[in-house]
Amino acid sequence: MPEPAIRIAQMHKYYGAFHALKDINLEIAKGEKVVICGPSGSGKSTLIRCVNRLEEHQAGDIVVMGTPLDDNVDNIDEIRREAGMVFQNFNLFPHMTVLENCMLAPVLTRKIDRSEAEKTAMQYLERVKIPEQAHKYPGELSGGQQQRVAIARALCMAPEIMLFDEPTSALDPEMISEVLDVMVGLAEEGMTMVCVTHEMGFARRVADRVIFMAEGEIIEQGAPDQFFDNPKNERTKLFLSQIVTH
Amino acid sequence: MADVIQPPKDSFQSRIKARYFATRRDTVITVVFAALVAWVLWSLIDWALLNATFAPNAGDICREDLHGGACWSVVSTRWRIVLFGLYPFEEQWRSAIACAVMVAVAVLSCVPWFWSAKRLAPLWVVGFAVFYILMRGGFFGLTEVTEQNWGGLSLTIFIFSGTSLLGMPLAIIFALLRRSKLPWIARTMALVIDTIRSLPLLSIMFTFAIVLPFVLPDGLTGDKLYRVIIGYALFFACYQAEIIRGGMQALPAGQEEAAKALGLGYWHRIGYIVLPQAFRNALPPTINQFVITVKETSLVTIIGFFDVMASGRAASGTAEWNFAVIEMYVFVGLIFLVFVFSLSRYGAYLERRLGVGKR
Repeated sequence: MPEPAIRIAQMHKYYGAFHALKDINLEIAKGEKVVICGPSGSGKSTLIRCVNRLEEHQAGDIVVMGTPLDDNVDNIDEIRREAGMVFQNFNLFPHMTVLENCMLAPVLTRKIDRSEAEKTAMQYLERVKIPEQAHKYPGELSGGQQQRVAIARALCMAPEIMLFDEPTSALDPEMISEVLDVMVGLAEEGMTMVCVTHEMGFARRVADRVIFMAEGEIIEQGAPDQFFDNPKNERTKLFLSQIVTH
Repeated sequence: MADVIQPPKDSFQSRIKARYFATRRDTVITVVFAALVAWVLWSLIDWALLNATFAPNAGDICREDLHGGACWSVVSTRWRIVLFGLYPFEEQWRSAIACAVMVAVAVLSCVPWFWSAKRLAPLWVVGFAVFYILMRGGFFGLTEVTEQNWGGLSLTIFIFSGTSLLGMPLAIIFALLRRSKLPWIARTMALVIDTIRSLPLLSIMFTFAIVLPFVLPDGLTGDKLYRVIIGYALFFACYQAEIIRGGMQALPAGQEEAAKALGLGYWHRIGYIVLPQAFRNALPPTINQFVITVKETSLVTIIGFFDVMASGRAASGTAEWNFAVIEMYVFVGLIFLVFVFSLSRYGAYLERRLGVGKR
């Protein structure tokens, strides 16, 4: 069996005395698309933030693309370069233009020369359909446009894995689909994706697997058809009924 | 397509009426204050220009002057002492050029083209080198003038630029250490900052100027002037470090997280993401700190240096000019005004310029 993209074994995470993640065991294969859902406070964001060490786990192992996530800063940086992340609040750098946002990390960490980095950046900005905004500042763009720039910025590092932390939760309703379209396109090209999201339509359409979390534990997981149409756990059923009925 | 509807435009007269003469009470207030302002302005012009004595060496005429106008004669007689202090008279051209070079370097570093370490560093190294060679002499057939005899405006400018250039990097280091994840580093730094901030600047200057030579080995003491600049820089750094830290804390946590998620290391995150935005946030208090520093340089007079303030005041100690105190203070005040006002305007320009990318 080939090495999975992400392997998490017996992982625990605490905030002080609070047990935020409990015995997480999870393997995500290369090219797999996984959607993580669950009520707020269930630890789903914390889980993907542990994968690139934005949060530190206290016990267990995390291995990303064969690199163990430990206290070695080189390993951490290596993993962060291999795993792109898209945030709920975009987190673009407001003092740089869209193009500079996209070029910064490749130029600094991959030592690519500027003209090459610019070419790559423009290519990805075209992918997310906003090449004409390249010389604007983030503050001049709509939320949907900013989130697409954030996706392009992550892609410029040519990551093996993309982590999405509620990428559409801060968007106005009419902008959600433009971001989801980009994500669907990415999925179709075979990117390994881990998405924390409440967009169940998206989950049904692209996910290979849906994971349901509650109170820091993985409660249930399965292929979308089985997960949505035939959930086994009571809490999953309750959660699904709550998000479907309104 | 519908026509674009313009907001109605007020005429100049109607605006004036609305703002200053809307009610009877407004009219009374306007008239009273306009009269007051006119009277103050007129008195000032009358004193400073119409009845004033401008010719140099006219102290006697000033004394007998019954109109009581300003005696600018004190300035036209003694301006070289104000600008150059105790610097030898025949060599004062050197001090003038050195001063001009320093101002030019300061102005150039305000130009956006110079805003990178690669350009700023050589600019200032060359600037200080030229300043030192000209002021100190001893090279290229220039007679030597020791730091004790430097004075006036060039001394003020030297102390200010030395303090800022030493103090700013120090402030950044202090701010970063203060934010360290290791508690003992962060707490020690906090203690150092709080201690130095709680000491009066005067006591720090005395310590560096007078106490330090007893403590340090002989080879390390250097001239009093440089020790004082280091003392100033330390004081400046402690205040500026807290200003920078404030700017950093105003950054949303997501900024550093995004930089981390892109694989940027600590120094890249600090240099490209955190500090540029922290300085932007902290620009108004930073300019404030520079303004305070310009004015605090005049404290060096207490340990025996003749900066522009002290060399101005020296006039009142002479029998010839002891009556012309106000005129001299006005002149020195104007010199400070030129520098501080330019600094403030530059700060305002920066705020506009850096505001471009902000929501």
